[in-house]
Amino acid sequence: MFETRSDGRLPLTIVGGFLGAGKSTWLRHQLYTKSFGRVHVLVNEAAELPVDDLLLGRAERLDVLANGCACCTGRETLVAALRKICDAASGADAGKIQALVLETSGLADPASIANAIQQDPILVRRIVLVRTVVLVDVGAALDQMAEERLARQQIEAADEIVMTKAVGTSRLHRSRLVATLRNLAPGAMITWAEFGVETSQEIDPGAAPYSLPEPEDAPGPIQTHRLDARSAGGWWALSAWLSALLFARGDRIVRVKGVISTPAGRLLLQSVRHHVQPPEILPNDLRREREPDFLVLIGRDVDQHRIQRSWDTFVGVVSDGLPGTEP
Amino acid sequence: MCNACGFPAAPGHWTDAGASSPGDRMRLRLARLAVVNRLLAPYGLKAGDDGVTPGLQLHAPGGEWVLVPDLEALWREAARLARTPVDPLSDRALANV
Repeated sequence: MFETRSDGRLPLTIVGGFLGAGKSTWLRHQLYTKSFGRVHVLVNEAAELPVDDLLLGRAERLDVLANGCACCTGRETLVAALRKICDAASGADAGKIQALVLETSGLADPASIANAIQQDPILVRRIVLVRTVVLVDVGAALDQMAEERLARQQIEAADEIVMTKAVGTSRLHRSRLVATLRNLAPGAMITWAEFGVETSQEIDPGAAPYSLPEPEDAPGPIQTHRLDARSAGGWWALSAWLSALLFARGDRIVRVKGVISTPAGRLLLQSVRHHVQPPEILPNDLRREREPDFLVLIGRDVDQHRIQRSWDTFVGVVSDGLPGTEP
Repeated sequence: MCNACGFPAAPGHWTDAGASSPGDRMRLRLARLAVVNRLLAPYGLKAGDDGVTPGLQLHAPGGEWVLVPDLEALWREAARLARTPVDPLSDRALANV
């Protein structure tokens, strides 16, 4: 599951989820099975009293950040702690740590933590965010999502959703909840766990999602727009257009995923709100048929026709007189 | 990072990915500039890149100009100079094309 990266950056996993979703329990089991390798765990507590660290004795190293939530008031503490780890990891102790895991407080927005790391000139060179795991309490999630905007933001930021405490819930509820989560985070992988141990649950794939009351500042349901990037005038046009779009509408466009061909190789592009992760170059697998380039925008209150028109106007057309074309 | 001027402060904005050779990088910069200017035109702004100065130069109609390191900073400064974000989905951007 873990491997040393060729660029020497430390892979970071963010573990998120609402208060009481089972983050520490899940993480404790992951540490027990050593699925992260030799890991340095950071635990963030929004409350003053660090209690969770008692549960996590299995980590190679453990820091508790107990003065405020890492996505807002405790941001500087988090950045300082991560810098210290990076310093240690490039000295005599290089290679002793293979991975970093940050257990966020139940009130943290994973996207703004990712953003904090991205904006720090040191951390951005030393740490790469590999995935965001968000835990969801099957029994309590629906109320949380209905009442707390934050609970939804956490789910929207997830690469992987782990459903916990499913024992005793009805199949119908589980199915409908999964359908609801798929609407919020269409790209995320959904798994199940009890006390951290992976389980499987029967669900009905055709179940109707619950309708969540829309928060005031987020008009319209989340929709997915798929754009065919084969017609794109090139990576430069697409990147210019997308960066402008995310600057202007990053609060509405929750997520972007895409695979785009460039002179340097095929890039995997991912974003959460305003924050775009550094694109990874995908390995060139000659044995497999190449999937055509695409770009998926997931967002609220964005008109499909307008997106397509803007795309055709600024990206789709190859402007005359440009030096060079896409291979 | 250049230890005299501190540029670039971060290792490449995501929009600067996609070019690995110096030739491709220069091509990316110049080709992208054309698209950036088409996006800026409805807002009365213009970007320039002489290929030598790091980053891009953003010019406002009144003569004010700023040097920006990457596209994110460019859109931020453009929003300041135009007093509204440059939005590719807006009526303004889609009107005269």
